[in-house]
Amino acid sequence: MDTSSPSAFVNGALLRRFIGQKVRTVIQVTGSEIGSVVGKSTDDLQIVVRGSSPPSPLTTYLEVIGIAESDNAIRAETWTNFGNTFDTQNYNELCKLANGEFKHLFI
Amino acid sequence: MENSVTQDGIATVLANQSLDSSSVRPEIVVQVVDLKPAGNRYTFSANDGKMKIKAMLPATLTSDIISGKIQNLGLIRLLEYTVNDIPGKSEEKYMLITKCEAVASALDSEIKAEIKASTGIMLKPKHEFVAKSASQIINEQRGNAAPAARMAMTRRVHPLVSLNPYQGSWTIKVRVTNKGVMRTYKNARGEGCVFNVELTDEEGTQIQATMFNAAARKFYDRFEMGKVYYISRGSLKLANKQFKTVQNDYEMTLNENSEVEEASNEEMFTPETKFNFVPIDELGTYVNQKDLIDVIGVVQSVSPTMSIRRKNDNEMIPKRDITLADETKKTVVVSLWNDLATGIGQELLDMADNHPVIAIKSLKVGAFQGVSLSTISRSNVVINPNSPEATKLKSWYDAEGKETSMSAIGSGMSSSANNGSRSMYSDRVFLSHITSNPSLGEEKPVFFSTRAYISFIKPDQTMWYRACKTCNKKVTEAMDSGYWCESCQKKDQECSLRYIMAVKVSDSTGETWLSAFNDEAEKIIGCTADDLNDLKSEEGEVNEFQTKLKEATWSSHLFRISVSQQEYNSEKRQRITVRGVSPIDFAAETRLLLQDISKNKTSQ
Repeated sequence: MDTSSPSAFVNGALLRRFIGQKVRTVIQVTGSEIGSVVGKSTDDLQIVVRGSSPPSPLTTYLEVIGIAESDNAIRAETWTNFGNTFDTQNYNELCKLANGEFKHLFI
Repeated sequence: MENSVTQDGIATVLANQSLDSSSVRPEIVVQVVDLKPAGNRYTFSANDGKMKIKAMLPATLTSDIISGKIQNLGLIRLLEYTVNDIPGKSEEKYMLITKCEAVASALDSEIKAEIKASTGIMLKPKHEFVAKSASQIINEQRGNAAPAARMAMTRRVHPLVSLNPYQGSWTIKVRVTNKGVMRTYKNARGEGCVFNVELTDEEGTQIQATMFNAAARKFYDRFEMGKVYYISRGSLKLANKQFKTVQNDYEMTLNENSEVEEASNEEMFTPETKFNFVPIDELGTYVNQKDLIDVIGVVQSVSPTMSIRRKNDNEMIPKRDITLADETKKTVVVSLWNDLATGIGQELLDMADNHPVIAIKSLKVGAFQGVSLSTISRSNVVINPNSPEATKLKSWYDAEGKETSMSAIGSGMSSSANNGSRSMYSDRVFLSHITSNPSLGEEKPVFFSTRAYISFIKPDQTMWYRACKTCNKKVTEAMDSGYWCESCQKKDQECSLRYIMAVKVSDSTGETWLSAFNDEAEKIIGCTADDLNDLKSEEGEVNEFQTKLKEATWSSHLFRISVSQQEYNSEKRQRITVRGVSPIDFAAETRLLLQDISKNKTSQ
């Protein structure tokens, strides 16, 4: 496992704490254009993901690893289709725990 | 003399305003008319054909009335009484009877004399005679006014609610709301056939009626689904709560002599479906119980139809899942099967965006996804029912429910259940909980759910036995050829193999051995015992048998287990048996872990 460049689990609200850093999140795709995908974060905020070559076709859920550009935008480095069923509530709780009380357990 | 009243009896009563046992007995016999309850006693009019006088019976005689000794239109001999004025109406009097005896049971009609008396009270026009059971009378005393209306029916029809095993003759008018198939059975006393129907009366009360053998054959074709019948001469007994499917303390048995007559050319009634709704968050208690339940909920989503292959006959049956929510802010998945999936299911899919309210009668509660509901052949789905519950639910949904976040009942920790068959998610333990309590299951088997990995399957154990294809019991090789089943007392050329195996399981807290029987072992191994036996006997470089066992190892399952004590070489040992195996639902497991984390946080 590569630990040299860790990516933090984030939801929409947590993104602002990692601007300029590497993050990882899962969005529900609501629309896509060439070079960008718009989606809803697990805490129901809108996130715009820019970057080259998103997968095609896109599934309902998409994992994105990249650099947080602003409090609602990510420049993607890795795109992964996460399929059409995904428990967003669980993921959202994970993001909160990983950045809160149990931060020390995550790199 | 026995069946007539005393001439001018009432006049004699009025002349001798009190009578006690010391007096000379004038032998006054009167007819009881208009017998009705008043508080804890009964009133009636004493009739001698010419005159009537209002009378009251003491509470001590109530039992005689209920038992039928004293009947309306019957005759009684007055032994002790007093005549009093009705306050404020000096011309009217009433007789307070303290002792009397029944002389004759109900006559055909009220005794009337041609001559009208000039004194006393004029004869009133005859009232319609009404038979009343004890429970009806009790109903009336409670102020339940409904029975009055149903008495207007042309026949003397008893409401189902009034039937009990201690009652003589009755006739009911009911609609067949479910008709079972004819089943054959075999037991120690021989073979036979049986079928049952569910009957619903005008008020929506239901009862199950069962017919055996000759009666079953006689009435099987007579009873048609949805038709209305007059039924009499059946017998009632207490319902077996284990198998009851309708809300009634009694069930009915019809024999050959029972009367079943179709009510044609008559005003029909449509029985209202009576619901007994269980709130979604209370469904946990019903998981894997025999009780059927009713739910009402707002449709959240409707799936397309899927085809499911039925295990026992490989038939494909359509299924559709719908998600319902109610005011408890919980959702539950209801699987509609067969016609309900394709018919009403399609209708629901078309209107899903409008979030209709639906009520479903008779659902089975299963442990799939924690808690889930499933229709059976007699389930009944009503879209947007016209009921106060539905109205309330709809307004709740429109006002706040729409915006509320809901969670699936299966993921919740509804641990209100009280026995072994709880939800997979409600009585979760680690293996150490079992292994560190050697006395667990000492009194009676205890049930748990546990998530664990298969860590070892001993390849050289006896994994299966030869089983009878009919009864699954063990068979022995017959003398010449084939197999002998002791239980069926029958020889068959073939037998099937059924698993009985020990598997070792592990989790983060420890490991233990479980014993698994055929169905559960099949899920663990991934093939039948016959198939595995075939693999074992195959020769070749790669041993498929070993591979199969290896594949089954280090996979995780959700186990439903029972823990009991077994004596082995005069030493007590824990025996852990697999009662159910299901695949891991990762999202549900994650929710469970999150719950544990938050519980740990609050307890610290």
